Amino acid sequence: MPHILVIEDDEITAREITLELAAHGITTERVHDGAQGFQRALEPHFDAITLDLMLPGMDGLTLVTQLRERGIATPVLMISALGDVDERVRGLRAGGDDYLTKPFAPDEMAARIEVLLRRQRQEQPAQTKLRVADLELDMISRTARRGSRELTLLPTEYRLLEFLMRYPGQVLTRAMIFESVWGLRFDPGTNLIDVHIARLRRKVDNEGEASLIRTMRGSGYRLG
Amino acid sequence: MANATARNLSIHWRATTSRLLLAYGVFFVIWGMVLLGFIYWETLHYLETRTDMQLKQQVAYLRSLNQEHLLVALNDYVILERTNYNAWGLFDAKQHWQYGDVLQFPAGLKIDSDSVRLPTEQVIAGPLAPPTPRLSVIAAHLPNGQILVLAHTTRIAARVGNIISHAVWWGVSFTLVPGLIGGLILNRGPRRRIRQIESATQPIMRGDLRQRLPVSHRGDELDRLAAIVNGMLDQIERLMGEVKGVCDNIAHDLRTPLTRLRSQLYRVQQELSEEDPHTAMIERCAADVDEVLARFRALLRISELEDRRRREGFVDVDLGQTLERVHELYAPLAEDQQLQFELQAEAGLIVQADPDLLFEALGNLVGNAIKFTPAGGRVALSVQQSGPGTAHIEVADNGPGIPEEQRHAVWQRFYRGDGSRDASGHGLGLSIVAAIAKLHDFELRIEGDGAGARMVMECALRAQDSPALA
Repeated sequence: MPHILVIEDDEITAREITLELAAHGITTERVHDGAQGFQRALEPHFDAITLDLMLPGMDGLTLVTQLRERGIATPVLMISALGDVDERVRGLRAGGDDYLTKPFAPDEMAARIEVLLRRQRQEQPAQTKLRVADLELDMISRTARRGSRELTLLPTEYRLLEFLMRYPGQVLTRAMIFESVWGLRFDPGTNLIDVHIARLRRKVDNEGEASLIRTMRGSGYRLG
Repeated sequence: MANATARNLSIHWRATTSRLLLAYGVFFVIWGMVLLGFIYWETLHYLETRTDMQLKQQVAYLRSLNQEHLLVALNDYVILERTNYNAWGLFDAKQHWQYGDVLQFPAGLKIDSDSVRLPTEQVIAGPLAPPTPRLSVIAAHLPNGQILVLAHTTRIAARVGNIISHAVWWGVSFTLVPGLIGGLILNRGPRRRIRQIESATQPIMRGDLRQRLPVSHRGDELDRLAAIVNGMLDQIERLMGEVKGVCDNIAHDLRTPLTRLRSQLYRVQQELSEEDPHTAMIERCAADVDEVLARFRALLRISELEDRRRREGFVDVDLGQTLERVHELYAPLAEDQQLQFELQAEAGLIVQADPDLLFEALGNLVGNAIKFTPAGGRVALSVQQSGPGTAHIEVADNGPGIPEEQRHAVWQRFYRGDGSRDASGHGLGLSIVAAIAKLHDFELRIEGDGAGARMVMECALRAQDSPALA
């Protein structure tokens, strides 16, 4: 069971994070201030950290910088009230793995934590093939097949499928898809991602086959 | 060239100083002429009265002389009085000529009456005639029955006329010529300042309310006017700031409870089974809350972009490649709406920009075009070099277009054209585009005549990227 360190001085936010993660079967430990948070973060038994950037004791940016300097690679989800693009870039540059602006939807936060956890687990062996059910993606030849059927994918569709296949069984929100596949972080309107998914779905699912890409009500998509 | 001169003149003429000066000049000339005319007229009148008196006295004297003396006296008189012109004639009782230069009794002349002024040619003709047009003439019976005619003109009157006409000419030229030149010089100052004010208002009209009109230390009318306008701008800026602040605060403060509401709805949604009749309702509620949150995010984003003055984070961006990525992202959406979506991108156009923001702006323009173009229509995305150092990005569609009078307003927050009420969207997309364009100093405008809209973004190319290198 994944274990998460929550460094957050705001009570309500901390409770929200704890409750939501508990609903996803993730246990948490909570710390109120930066200096204490830093000490705990040095301990090896956390799978990920949620880090508020404005903390008493030691601010989040310094914390994550010093953590990385000491070679601690625990994934960090930074949470900030500042939505500024530059703020986000600074946070990621300092060594954060993802960035979320307050107020956030708890399911979005949980989805991001789960992606961080899975990325952590995947990192060890360099994979060349991804497999989900009868779907197979060859990352060297950049081809995809479902069962015996070869899928002809456009470059964008390939990247989208690859992202979905990296996190099977995991809810991916539209914002996460847009960020990861296109590297963009603005509001493109709700149906733009849906249209792309629908296209990919038409290629992946033949008639009669079970749909592999599932729409999760109210949050996003899930493969498998 | 001639046109420019004409325009220049017309600008000069329209200036207040020029007009005042010219009006004053005309008034001065007219008044001066009236005055001089009056003096001239009075002088002439006086001289004529003098002449009449003189003639009467002379006639009275000459009548008292006998025949021999008379002729001598008349000749002497003509010779002695050189400064004026004199002529005489002696006629018998039947008005037949006897002696003198006046060879014919002037028609219409009354005998033994006051002197009258007659045209010169009626009195005396030929080389002896004086250069004046009129002569004062008097006729009288001598005691022996002869008729004596004396003609007189004073050159003084002509001289006075000359002096006065000279005075008029000199006066006019001394008044009008330096006056006009002075006027042009005086005009230059105010015109230069009007130009300064004009250039200061350009950014204000484009929406940069931080600019102010220049105020000099002179404190003249223009300064007072500029100060009034500046005061007005202060107030407008303050009010705009307040409105924006209130909007931002509402958006900011409501985000937290709305996000909570959204997560409650999400939890309820997770707990309900697919078959539950409430599922659809909850889903609609969640979608509505999402919509509101998206709107607030957009509002705060515009504020964030507008407050950003720094241009750090700007890098070289290839416009063609950016357009290709935008095209790739939006192509499925266009296809879904059965639109033809074309891309025409010139290679090698590099600008200094924030790549993500530029993408966002172009994405918004394209998304907007796709949204408002009916099925079967066409959206075209293109970039080309339009001149030395500028690239011309265009998003053209053949949808309903944007009426001329709305073209300025669409960039403002929450503006939605009349034709767009049925389409979804929060009306903030174009405001975001405007804020991004402003941050980059790119020029945005809307073109198109009836058949569709063309959103144009003019970008300054990277400095060293001159066409000679391409």
